[in-house]
Amino acid sequence: MKRWRYLLGKIGWAVFTVLFVLVLNFFLFRVLPGDPARAGIHDPRLKKEAIEAIRVRFGLDKPVINCFESLNPVKFGSCAVNPLDTQFFIYVKNLLQGEMGISYHTNRPVANILAERLWNTILLIGAGQLLAIFIGVIFGVFAAWKARTSIDYGALIVSLLAWSLPTFWLGIILLFWGSNHGLPIGGMQTPGMSSQPFFARAGDVLSHMLLPTLTYTIVYMGEYMLIMRSSLLDVLSEDYVLTAKAKGLNTFQVLKDHALKNAMLPLVTVIAINLGFTMAGAVQIESVFSWPGLGGAIYEAVNRRDFPVLQGAFLLIAVAVIVANLIAELTYAYLDPRVQSE
Amino acid sequence: MRKILALVMALAFVLAACGSKADGGGTVRIGWAGSPDSLNPGVAILTESYTIFELVYDSMYELNLDGSFSLAAAESVERSADGLVYTYKIHKDIKFHDGQPLTAKDIKFSYDFYGAHEDFPYMNPYTQYFETVEAPDDSTVVVTLTEAIPNIESQLVYLYILPEHIWKDYAEGSAATEFDNLEMIGSGPFEMVEYKQNEFVHLKANNKHFLTPPKVDEVIFQTFESQDVLVQAIKSGQVDMIAEMPATAVETLKGDPNVQVVSGAPFAPTVTDVIFNQVSPENCPTDAGGICTGHPALRDRNVRLALDHATDKQKLIDVVLLGYGTPGVTLIPDGLGMWFNSSIQGNQYDVARANQILDDAGYKDANGDGVRDMPDGSRPLTFRLNWPSDSVDDPRVAKMLSEMWTQVGVKVEMQAVDPDALTAQCCPAFDFDIIIWGWGSDPDPNLLLGVMTTDEIPTGSSETGYSNPEYDALYKQQSTELNLQKRIELVWKMQQIAFDDAVYVIPYYPDSIQAYRTDRFTGWLTGFPKLELTDVSSLVVIEAVKK
Repeated sequence: MKRWRYLLGKIGWAVFTVLFVLVLNFFLFRVLPGDPARAGIHDPRLKKEAIEAIRVRFGLDKPVINCFESLNPVKFGSCAVNPLDTQFFIYVKNLLQGEMGISYHTNRPVANILAERLWNTILLIGAGQLLAIFIGVIFGVFAAWKARTSIDYGALIVSLLAWSLPTFWLGIILLFWGSNHGLPIGGMQTPGMSSQPFFARAGDVLSHMLLPTLTYTIVYMGEYMLIMRSSLLDVLSEDYVLTAKAKGLNTFQVLKDHALKNAMLPLVTVIAINLGFTMAGAVQIESVFSWPGLGGAIYEAVNRRDFPVLQGAFLLIAVAVIVANLIAELTYAYLDPRVQSE
Repeated sequence: MRKILALVMALAFVLAACGSKADGGGTVRIGWAGSPDSLNPGVAILTESYTIFELVYDSMYELNLDGSFSLAAAESVERSADGLVYTYKIHKDIKFHDGQPLTAKDIKFSYDFYGAHEDFPYMNPYTQYFETVEAPDDSTVVVTLTEAIPNIESQLVYLYILPEHIWKDYAEGSAATEFDNLEMIGSGPFEMVEYKQNEFVHLKANNKHFLTPPKVDEVIFQTFESQDVLVQAIKSGQVDMIAEMPATAVETLKGDPNVQVVSGAPFAPTVTDVIFNQVSPENCPTDAGGICTGHPALRDRNVRLALDHATDKQKLIDVVLLGYGTPGVTLIPDGLGMWFNSSIQGNQYDVARANQILDDAGYKDANGDGVRDMPDGSRPLTFRLNWPSDSVDDPRVAKMLSEMWTQVGVKVEMQAVDPDALTAQCCPAFDFDIIIWGWGSDPDPNLLLGVMTTDEIPTGSSETGYSNPEYDALYKQQSTELNLQKRIELVWKMQQIAFDDAVYVIPYYPDSIQAYRTDRFTGWLTGFPKLELTDVSSLVVIEAVKK
């Protein structure tokens, strides 16, 4: 019963946060200076009439919301306006129907664009995170176990170095190295592969993934290793570990049954936060390796004042961060039952 | 880990080897830093889209690399004596990529389609002089105009011919803008195979093209997000040609025996301009929201002329473009070929002369603060200088202008502004002193010349507020002059007037820089007045290098 109440409470907060983000997202982009219909184009061919017609097509001729006339710089409408005929309620209505609108930039449905890009990002980030966690945790455990030996110091130096490397710089260095070794340096597939059998296609994508994933792994593995090491060192100094050793348990048993589970807590937090944010945070890696992911889509949409794509993408990221945090908290409750009772 | 890495790399090598096997005409891989925004000609805005349209679609005319036009889908044209009716005979054996014949009806459909949608940003204005388009039979198109315009070629050259049997389902309302046209059935020298936005455009040759069947088998445009990566891609042989590159990389690539770097005036003419707000109080478009806060000194030709003399254009080119540009004269760039008035010698960089002009005109430094003042002493020659914040080069241009103009006692207050906010400040509000900006343009000079006319002050196209009745009269005259030589004379005269009045300071006309691998394909068209290796003219004549 207690567990259910805890669960429901957490989910309730998550839903509330998503709703808040949904409203904020809408107004945030409309406060930006700039006109989506013009999109910064300076060309004598672009006539006033065309811009006006495009504005009508995008629905930008309608007031943003009714009743808030004085809150500039956003153009609000008067209370006399039918709320259902304002940009905000049209946005909410469409969202309730599961529609995210049509991109101003590409004239394609936002949901399609985001789905495409999200999958590409998840592929890259997923592989990178898994590798980083795997390598980071193993190195961290090893370093903590061999604390204050040359192995520990070596691992520590490597991790600190990897963690402090600027992502784009490491990316460019790996790109140069890779291009001299015949590795693809841009995109996620070789054009013309779509008619090939599945395994050839997968191999092609894999070869394109190699450099960006490597960059991602190197940058994040250092962080995980450092956290794992220090957290495990703390736990290893606890009395119950001493007790476990005194009982005659071997190293593996001490680590597995007594130390690791407790030492995982801080790492779970960091992983959860990273997962949420790296959904968009891979912008640098994506742009160095021309990976067609979500980060690139957001960057492009900002430049073009592509409100529907921005709203969709930010909603997606917000949901990802919130869900990742929710999962982290629930994992906490599993790892440390005391959390629920607090 | 090392084993996995080795395995994946081995796999990559095998795949790379498979990919590059030469079969017949070969596959041209082109690297560029952009991607089309849409394959629907109605809504597309980016140049990358138009590059693809040129390859996949046919239109009535073809724009050549020397700036001239030649007939493409039409085999002959007749103009009526009054210049209002054009009768085109269409090639009989043109087929769309799906096998359907291209007839005059498709052309009529396409022109009517572009004309019916006011929210097609570029296509719609090209139909503005069309009274009617008729297709009396399958091989005749009759275009009747509302005015006898002299540049029908530049109006029709981008009006791509769409297949009616496909587009008729998307002709009305929002379907016309939301149709993504991924199949992209056209009739041009290349056919669409696959398009992945922000990844690649994969085309194959249409060997049955009636005019210019390509010699290569396939063309692939691959998107790289930065120009520096493009350079690495051509060096390592992952692409055969790059459509753009930073000037800083030219030296690196010149050292590569297999890469040839080429530069020249871009196919789509561009110009960078320094705009002086010179709108007079009586011309201030108050009805259109004009507030006209410009510094009064800029209305004086002497001040503008002095600033032009005080601008070291060659230094700007050397520093900002690393030498890849030509000094500017007027708004009409040298890339416009015969329309460019090559007889005008630009103003020499001469600080003493500039100081002399300002001294003679009465702009003295009355209070000794190093900044000149108005002749009546009312305010100093301190100007606001703005530029669009998305520009890479403009901040450096602004900084250098500021230093150069200090030498003649002119001070500027520099500030980057968001491009759309800048548009709001600029025109027709005229709420600025000086703006650094630029234009992209048509192959025909008409639109750029129109920017300086009095009629365009309230519309927002005029950015300077310049007004000269003689210039306006010449503009009207050239826009109906059907004789090419006479029209060129008028256009040259207009440039002379604009130059004499020092309407703008034009720092430079930037070059485009491209590179191709000499060990892959041969026959790229270079040495023409304009350079564009991705243009259809090059891609249909290049051949694989015989090994």
